[in-house]
Amino acid sequence: MGGMRMKKVKMIATLLAFGIIIFGFAFWTWFGPDREFSSDERRYLAEFPELSTETLLSGDFMADFEGYTQDQFPLRDSFRGIKAFFATKVAGKKDNNGLYSVDGHLSKIEYPMSESMIDHAADRFTAVYDRYLKDSGGEVFLTVVPDKGAYLAEENGCLSMDYPAFYEKVQETLPYMTYLPVEDLLGAEDYYKTDSHWRQESILDVAQRLAEKLGGDPLPEFERETLTEPFYGVYAGQSATGAEPDQITYLTNDILEGVKVTGLSDLGVWEEKALYDRKELSGVDPYNFFLSGTEALLKIENPMAEGGKRLIIFRDSFGSSLIPLMVPGFAEITVVDLRYIRGDQLGNYVEFDGQDVLFLYSTTLFNNSLAIG
Amino acid sequence: MLFSGIPFLYYFLPIVLILYFLAPKKLKNGVLLAFSLVFYAWGEPIYVILMVISILQGYLFGLLIGRDKEKRPRRAKLWMWCSVVFSLGMLGYFKYADFFLSNFNAATGLSLPLLRVALPIGISFYTFQILSYVIDVYRGDVAPQKNPITLGAYIAMFPQLIAGPIVRYSDVERELRERKHTLADMAYGVRRFVLGLGKKVLIANSLGELCAAFGTATDPSTLFFWLNAVAYSLQIYFDFSGYSDMAIGLGRFFGFHFMENFNYPYISKSITEFWRRWHISLGVWFRDYLYIPLGGNRVSKPRWFFNLFVVWFATGFWHGAAWNFILWGLYFAVFLVIEKFWLLPWLQKKEGLDFLRHLYVLSLVLVSFVIFNAPDFATVGTQLGGLLGIGAGHDATEAIYYAKSYAGILVTAVVGATPLPKKVVSWVEKTKVGSRILTVAEPVFLGLLLLVVTAYLVDGSFNPFLYFRF
Repeated sequence: MGGMRMKKVKMIATLLAFGIIIFGFAFWTWFGPDREFSSDERRYLAEFPELSTETLLSGDFMADFEGYTQDQFPLRDSFRGIKAFFATKVAGKKDNNGLYSVDGHLSKIEYPMSESMIDHAADRFTAVYDRYLKDSGGEVFLTVVPDKGAYLAEENGCLSMDYPAFYEKVQETLPYMTYLPVEDLLGAEDYYKTDSHWRQESILDVAQRLAEKLGGDPLPEFERETLTEPFYGVYAGQSATGAEPDQITYLTNDILEGVKVTGLSDLGVWEEKALYDRKELSGVDPYNFFLSGTEALLKIENPMAEGGKRLIIFRDSFGSSLIPLMVPGFAEITVVDLRYIRGDQLGNYVEFDGQDVLFLYSTTLFNNSLAIG
Repeated sequence: MLFSGIPFLYYFLPIVLILYFLAPKKLKNGVLLAFSLVFYAWGEPIYVILMVISILQGYLFGLLIGRDKEKRPRRAKLWMWCSVVFSLGMLGYFKYADFFLSNFNAATGLSLPLLRVALPIGISFYTFQILSYVIDVYRGDVAPQKNPITLGAYIAMFPQLIAGPIVRYSDVERELRERKHTLADMAYGVRRFVLGLGKKVLIANSLGELCAAFGTATDPSTLFFWLNAVAYSLQIYFDFSGYSDMAIGLGRFFGFHFMENFNYPYISKSITEFWRRWHISLGVWFRDYLYIPLGGNRVSKPRWFFNLFVVWFATGFWHGAAWNFILWGLYFAVFLVIEKFWLLPWLQKKEGLDFLRHLYVLSLVLVSFVIFNAPDFATVGTQLGGLLGIGAGHDATEAIYYAKSYAGILVTAVVGATPLPKKVVSWVEKTKVGSRILTVAEPVFLGLLLLVVTAYLVDGSFNPFLYFRF
C-alpha cells in the first residue's frame, strides 16, 4: 500500500470510528427505551425533564437534561465499569469515586474525621437523652461500630481516619454514656466483601460481649444457614468493577423462631415483622433480610427469655444483623432508628420506664450524621 | 453547553452534522448561525439576546464605516468609536460594573448597591471578535460584511464562541464565503477534537479533582500546597488548550482554519517565550489592537514601559473583574520588562543554562497561577506562604496519598505538556512499519479514547471548565 493510500485509509477509518460512535450512540440514546431504576446503583434514574417556557428560560431544563442524558445513556453500567477500570488500572488512581479495593474487599474512603458531624450526632442523642432517658432510671451505653476502613485503609496506603481519636472524640461528646468497645473483636474479614456491613456469622463474639455487659442472659448456640441467593452488596454496583457476590449466612435457633416482632408502620400502627425477612432478598438491598432493613421502630418480644431484662437499642443498619443475636438474652428489645423517626415523636410509641439503653452506631453514621433528624 | 458533555456529543453535534452537510452550500452559514445561537442559548437562554444585539451593532456599524470610509473618514471614525464604546460598554456593564462599584464604595465609604449582574458566558471572547471586525473594517483591512447571517456565523460560531481562540474576521473571511470540506480536513478535525476532549476530560478534570481535594483539606501540608499548585498549573493548561483543540478541530471539520492558541507553553525558556506560546490569540489581539496603537516599542523608553504595563493590566483585567487578575497581569509585566531590558539578552548569551531557564519559567508561572486561582489577596498570601511552609500543616499523610493516587495522571500531564508524544508519533510515522501500524492504531486509539471519555461523562465525573468565567 502506498503512503498516500495508507493516509487515505487512515483518514477514512478515523471518520468512520468517530461517526459510528457518535451517531451509533446518538440514535441509540434518542430512540432507545428509558430505564426507571438502576439496581446496580440502587437508585431511580433521572426522567426526561419538564419542558416548558419557564424551565427553558430559567435554564432548569438544560441543567436537568444533562443529568437525564447521563442516567439514560445506553450501556450506562458498562460505561461506568470502563471508567472504573480506566481510572484505577490505567491511570493508577487508588480509588474510584471514593471506593477502593483491597484483595477483593471493596470499601469506601471515610476521611477525614468530621468533628462537626460527630457533634451533630451527639446533639441529637443528647436531646433524646434529656427528654426520655435522664430520669428514667436505666443505664445508657454506647458502642461505636468501626467501618471496614478501620481494618483496611491504613494498612493498604489508603486515606484513613485516626480511629482511636475518633472513638475518643465520640466518648467525649457523650460523657453520660458508658462506652462498650467492640473494635478489638473485629477485622476486615468480618465484613462482606461487596458491602459496608459486617457479617452476622462473624459477630457472635460482639453480641456475646454486649449481651453480657448489658446484663442479658448468656447467649445460646445458633445454627448457621446460608442463603443460596447471591448477595451483591452496596459497593458491588457502585464500584462497577464486576465484583464477585458475597453470600449471606444467618444464625438462628428455636428461640429466634419463637420471638414476636412488630414494627411501626408509616400509618402509626404496629404490624407483624420478621427477624429474617426473605421478601427483602429480591429487593433493592438484600441486607434488608435482617430485621427488614429500614424500620423506624421495632419491638422484639422473646417469650422464652429466662430473665425479664428489657432493652432499648438506638441503632443504624449495623444493628440489623447484630440485634437478632442478642434477642435470646432479653425478654424484650425495642429497636429505634432515629433516621426514620424524630426523637420528639418517640414518646408516643415507646415507654421509657427504666430499661437500659444502648446506642449502637457506626463510625460512618457518626461522620455523616445529617440523616439523624 | 460544554463540548465535554453528553448533550453536546450525542445530541447537539450529530444533529448539527446531519443538517449542516445536508444543507445546500448557500444555507450552510445559516445552519451554523442557527445552531450556534441554540448552543449559546442552552447556557444563556436570556443573554442570547444580548449577543444578537452585539452582532447587529457590529454588523450595522461595519456597514456604516464601509459606506463613509472613503468620502467621510471622520464620520467613519465616529461609527468605529460608537461600536467600540458600545462593545466595551456592554462588557463593562456585564463584567466590570460591580467591581468598579465595590471599589468605589471601599474608597469612599459609600454603600452604593451592587448590580449583581450575572456574567454572560463568553462575552469577553465574542466582544473582542466584534471589536476586531469593526476596527479591521475601519482600517480597511477587510471589507464590511453585507450579509448579517455570514457575520453572525463568524461571531457566534459555536466551536470558538465561548472560549476562543479569538478568531479574526480577516482570517476566516474567505472561508465564510467559500470553503471546502475535504477528507483530510475532516479527519484532522476529528483527531484534534477527540484529543482535545481527552485532554480536557481525562487529564484536566482529574487534576481538578485533586485541586478540589486540596480545597477541602482542613490543614494541608507544604507538600499538599505544592501538589495543588502543580496540579492547578497543569489543569488550567489541559483545560484551556484542550478546549482550544476541540474548537480548532470542530472548526476544521466545518472547513475553517482557526489560529493555534497554544504551543507547548511549559517548555518555554523565558516569560517572553511563554506568552508567545500561551493563549496566542489573546496575545496577538492585544498586540494588534492595543500595544501597537499605543506606539508599541517605537517610542521612548518610559512610554514603552507605560505601553507594556497598560497591555498587561488589560490582559489581567480581561481575565476577570478582580484585583488578583490585575496583579497577575502586572506580575507578568514586571518580568517581561526585566527580560526585555536585561535578563533576556544576558540569558541568550549564556549557554548551558537551559535547565535553569526552564526552572525559572516554571517557577514564575506556577506562582502566577496561584495568584490567578485565588479568590482574594488573602488567599494568595496563604497559598504562597504554604508553598514556603508558612502556616502549613505538619501531617503530610493526605498529600502523600493524593500524590500516589494521581501520580499516573501527573506524569502523563507533564509529558503531555511537552512535544515529546507528538515527536514520537511523527518518528514512528516516518518508518514504513510504523506508518502501517498507525494506519490502524490511530483510528482505533481515537475511537477508544472517545469511548473512555464517554465513560467518564456518563459516570458524571467532575467536569468544571475554568475558562467559562471569562
